[in-house]
Amino acid sequence: MVSLEQLKEHQTVRTEPVPESQALVDVRHLNLWYGPKQALYGISVRFPKNQVTAIIGPSGCGKSTLLRSLNRMNDLVPGVRVEGEVLYEGVNIYDPRVDPVAVRRHIGMVFQKPNPFPKTIFENVAFGLRLMGVKGSELEDRVVEALKRAALWEEVKDRFKKESGLRLSGGQQQRLCIARAIAVEPPLLLMDEPTSALDPIATQAIEDLILELKKRYTVVIVTHNMQQAARVSDRTLFMHLGVLVEEGPTEVLFTKPKHPYTEAYITGRFG
Amino acid sequence: MNRTLTPSPESFAQDPWKARIDRVFARALVLPLLLALGLLALLLGDTLYRSVSVQVVRADMGPGHTYPFGLSAEAILRQELLAQGYTEEEADFMLQDPKERSALFLQNRVELMWNTHEGPFRYVVTNVYDKRVADFSLAEGLRRWNELKANLQEGERLVLNPWLDQTFLTRPPSRSPLTAGIGVAVWGTVWVLSLALLLAIPVGVGTAILLEEYLREGRLSRLLEVNLRNLAGVPSIVYGLLGLALFVRGMGLGPSVLAAALTLGLLGIPVIVVTAREALRAVPESMRLAAFALGATRRQVVFRVVVPAALPGMVTGVILSAARLIGEAAPLLLVGAAAYVPFAPTGPLSQYTVIPVQIYLWISQNQPEFARVAAAGILVMLLLLSVLYLLALYLRNRFRREW
Repeated sequence: MVSLEQLKEHQTVRTEPVPESQALVDVRHLNLWYGPKQALYGISVRFPKNQVTAIIGPSGCGKSTLLRSLNRMNDLVPGVRVEGEVLYEGVNIYDPRVDPVAVRRHIGMVFQKPNPFPKTIFENVAFGLRLMGVKGSELEDRVVEALKRAALWEEVKDRFKKESGLRLSGGQQQRLCIARAIAVEPPLLLMDEPTSALDPIATQAIEDLILELKKRYTVVIVTHNMQQAARVSDRTLFMHLGVLVEEGPTEVLFTKPKHPYTEAYITGRFG
Repeated sequence: MNRTLTPSPESFAQDPWKARIDRVFARALVLPLLLALGLLALLLGDTLYRSVSVQVVRADMGPGHTYPFGLSAEAILRQELLAQGYTEEEADFMLQDPKERSALFLQNRVELMWNTHEGPFRYVVTNVYDKRVADFSLAEGLRRWNELKANLQEGERLVLNPWLDQTFLTRPPSRSPLTAGIGVAVWGTVWVLSLALLLAIPVGVGTAILLEEYLREGRLSRLLEVNLRNLAGVPSIVYGLLGLALFVRGMGLGPSVLAAALTLGLLGIPVIVVTAREALRAVPESMRLAAFALGATRRQVVFRVVVPAALPGMVTGVILSAARLIGEAAPLLLVGAAAYVPFAPTGPLSQYTVIPVQIYLWISQNQPEFARVAAAGILVMLLLLSVLYLLALYLRNRFRREW
């Protein structure tokens, strides 16, 4: 097995790297510490526009940390320290002049466990829009639009103004969370293991939804489930111990992995 | 090692001793609950029993005192009140209020009499109070009902007197147990409690939000936490001393509703902080993260998501602390809940009395009937507390959430 010292010196193996012109997000030499503990080591990677990028790797490899540094959610963790750049449409979101709150309004996020607010379905989806000052009939139209795009509209159209988001089933709750995230039309949607708390049927619905969403949005998805990564993503990143080991088009990474650790992981020999 | 590898039914047999100990243990745990419930039922039953009595009463119109010709009606009434045992201050106080004064004139009829044995023109005061002839406990009164009825004198009647009746709730306190009521004390409680909560809710909830949502695990947070826990454990009479020194004397508020409300408000703050913090802590972290991820500022996260989600718990905590404050007598005795207040407060600077203080004063009277008045007062307080607890229970169940 690989030691951390060896990995730190490792150069990411890249297959068909994304050209700068196609990248929505360009991560450059990102190092991240939680207190004294380093969690990310020199990550450099580009996330292409209107494609789904999956991040895979064993538990604790830093995939969620990388995802959360794309919308500065890590700032909420006390004692966090970041070095390097994350360019979003060419702007470094870690520039001191950038307000993390404003960054998060441009980037949607869906969490592992569905976490609707204890409010009505309508108010859940309207939350981000209200923060942006959307009101009246426009608010209503955009809520309905988001519910339709999240494939939830048919199931809730006759009760969405009265029923609490918490009364929905787990799969519906997660689609509600997706609707809530895409209601503000964020160009980038981050998903942190969005189906790990769901049953196979609900998972199928979310995966179909992701394939639909990529027409309009750029999606980055963290997943434990390698079949899922293979099914929904265009590109895949394999991380281990805070290091980006290998990245490339999904079918290449899964069929012809270049790095021995990638191969070991996807064939189930560790992780 | 000599162990059988194939299990037999015996290897799954219950150990009779262990099972027995389990059963005994489970039962023993129920005992304290039964004991508490039993004592509570006993208390309630005893209070109910004491609040009802059998009485022989007579509408007494007998000649009162006589007064020389030439005195004003006001002076006569004042002297009559003194003769009935009121102090000069009390008499003056009662006569200041026009409503009370007209009631007193109805109860003490001043009549000009001709040719009394003390001389031609005299004033005679006639008391129209119901005079108690005898008062019996419920058990004794019911047992001897027929005997008592047979022995009634002219003008007397035998009554089953539930001391807690409609007029008890509205009547002012009185020197006579028969006319004593809890109305003034109820209004005093309403005034003091509302003002106290007006102080304690914003301060308590604000502190909880600061500690739970803004400071989190800081050193200041820990320091405040320790102090709050200590404050919650300080005996309420110490708050009374503080109130006496700070509000009654220091700020010169005197024995007023406001001084009492400030004192009780301080007393209520730690409880509200603790319950509000628990309510805030019960809101899952994922709610905050979801709001942050949508681009909310901390203020928006707190006031649009966390506080609304924690509101039912906070309201329950406020109600429970209000229920605790209603029962407080000790600090208010110190900050001057007055012994005899004939009128409900009219403003924050009025004199006042509250239900528990009134009960305490009744119990310390030496006329035995006052014990019955006190029992009726206790019932009123228990009723009020039950309403509050039921409200808290209702809110808790109505808004229970599955996260």
